[in-house]
Amino acid sequence: MKSLTTDPAANPAAILYHRCTVDLKTGELRYTDVPCRNLEDVLGGFGRSFQDLAMRQIDNAYCDENPLIVNTGLLTGSTAMTALRTYFSGYSPIKGSKAGRPAAMWSTGSGKFGAKFKWTGLDELIFENRSEQPVYVLIKETVAGPQVELKPAEHLLGLSTHAKIMALQQEYPNAHFAAIGPAGENWQQNYMGAVALSTENQLKSKQDKCRFAGRGGMGSLMGYKNILALVAQSRDKLGKVSEAVKKVNLNVIKGGGSARLQPISRGGGGGTWAAYDVLQAFHAVPVNNFRPQGNAIPEKLFRENVEKEYDIKSEACYRCGITCHNNISEKGADGSKGEFLAKFDYEPLNLLGTNLGIHAAGEAARLIQLADNYGMDSISLGVTISYLLAYNERHPEKPILNGATFGDYEKIRELVIKAGEGELPEIGRGSMRLSQATGETGYAYHVKGLELPAYQPETNPGYAWAIAGGHMSMATYGLLTREGKSDLDSWVKGITQNKLHMVGFDMIGLCKFFDIANGIGTQMVVDCLKSEFNLEVSTDDIRAAVRRAFLRGLALELRQGYTKAEFCLPAEVSEDPNSHINLPNITSSEFIAQLEKRVWEIFEPELEGILD
Amino acid sequence: MQVKVKLIGAFRTDRFKENIAEYPDGTRVEEIFSQLQIPKRALGTVLLNGLHARLDDVLNEGDTLTLLPILGGG
Repeated sequence: MKSLTTDPAANPAAILYHRCTVDLKTGELRYTDVPCRNLEDVLGGFGRSFQDLAMRQIDNAYCDENPLIVNTGLLTGSTAMTALRTYFSGYSPIKGSKAGRPAAMWSTGSGKFGAKFKWTGLDELIFENRSEQPVYVLIKETVAGPQVELKPAEHLLGLSTHAKIMALQQEYPNAHFAAIGPAGENWQQNYMGAVALSTENQLKSKQDKCRFAGRGGMGSLMGYKNILALVAQSRDKLGKVSEAVKKVNLNVIKGGGSARLQPISRGGGGGTWAAYDVLQAFHAVPVNNFRPQGNAIPEKLFRENVEKEYDIKSEACYRCGITCHNNISEKGADGSKGEFLAKFDYEPLNLLGTNLGIHAAGEAARLIQLADNYGMDSISLGVTISYLLAYNERHPEKPILNGATFGDYEKIRELVIKAGEGELPEIGRGSMRLSQATGETGYAYHVKGLELPAYQPETNPGYAWAIAGGHMSMATYGLLTREGKSDLDSWVKGITQNKLHMVGFDMIGLCKFFDIANGIGTQMVVDCLKSEFNLEVSTDDIRAAVRRAFLRGLALELRQGYTKAEFCLPAEVSEDPNSHINLPNITSSEFIAQLEKRVWEIFEPELEGILD
Repeated sequence: MQVKVKLIGAFRTDRFKENIAEYPDGTRVEEIFSQLQIPKRALGTVLLNGLHARLDDVLNEGDTLTLLPILGGG
């Protein structure tokens, strides 16, 4: 990144980012310094990639014209805490309109790959066309600037995400890695491939502690392009932490936003796992395909019950003081720590546990481990399987696939493995397509073709306007549950004003836990940009850029053929209300109709011309 | 007056799950919360008899007060 201005909002073209475009068909490489079009470009991530995707009309995700864009955010690799994000963008194989066109999508993860990538001197890689042979891509820092090479990768074929990374580490000991698993390699049959990102912890311990850019099948797109892995080789270039950034970092750790994520031993909530306890207070923990039963069954996977039998260790990303991970290992009879199993985050734990009728921690952990090793998005995988189990429960006389039902661990495990191996396209292509095939779409828990996270849709009608999958692109998931808001005005305001700002984190390179409640239009971010790059940006400028980026995402969805009727929750939510959920009903047909009307009245005028 | 206090998640650590205790008439939610020495930044939601409530709400005989940690993220 070259900066020739201190005022990027007024003069974005004076900021140039360094891009390499790789033609996978010819092997041609083109390096360019690209002037920014606007502040969204400067901030980076999907704010930039979606502008490039908007310039292409793509009707099928698996076509040569669909690029895979790998980029970082402005703060990725900086001294700001959590600044580790890498973004993968393209038209999605799994998320698509009923008109049959793919949606633009991004996915992001931490790990140290993003920082290493940035430290090579490159800000963005665009992959065009596809390679005839499997390759991995080496991005390395040289005295002449960043260099990109395509390398043969037959030796990596068929390996798990973790095994690929371990194999590449032998060859590149000072590098970090992004790799797909067998699911991404089997892109024809599996649209939910994830990209695994290596962590310091993983490379040191040799345990499969990757992070994942999971959503939207970016790993499958990478597989289509025949890229099995990316290697970022550079020196560590973390600068000295300034007093201003030190103050910000301290606020990230001590501030309210990360309190629930800190380990319990430090007075925190114990990571995202704690959502189990909170949501269960309302009987709103998804059970058996999003149908909570008003009983205590989810409590079996409460931390207090799991820690009796398993070793739980709080761990952190590189240089992060939040320490949000809960890594679960076997526990020996003498209390000693055994084999590492998986990281218990709320989403994968619920969607590959309670929501499948699996209530034994060890079984849930093994399913999470399998999903991670095969490189599948645990949300899409879990929700597609839960749909299948619900179908089989409703049709005991004529079940489909292997006849699995809720709680049948062995059969569910078989589904995960076969989906990962590319042998079960019914699962691998997601819940929208499976439900269209069965003809029973009402209880398929996706919105706009992308599976829902583990927050009941009854608690979040905002899902309909999430542009990259709720809940991480529309922060309304706590508006009812946490804030108690059940009136129309609060929901209109939440969706159209405050809660969409969460997507700003997917531009700038920071994890959402940096300040999840407030987004990036804050003095903390302003201080970081001034300290790291001598850039003067106001919070208003940042918020305006985030809003434009969000609206561009909405406009792109409409351009790809989504009708307004597709901005909706699964039909079961309003057709068969779940009386067990102890919260006001805000998903009645009447409430939703009013909400849709008022939200579109606000968004629609702003969408005009935004893709021009 | 008697009030039942229920704690959720990490708030239970070194405290209790559920406790019924006597409080003076006119006690507000905030006073019970302070007595429990829970860091304010960790408090997400207050429920009074199952409905969302505020720290300055006044408690009544037989009320059930539930304190929940912050929810968010995945």
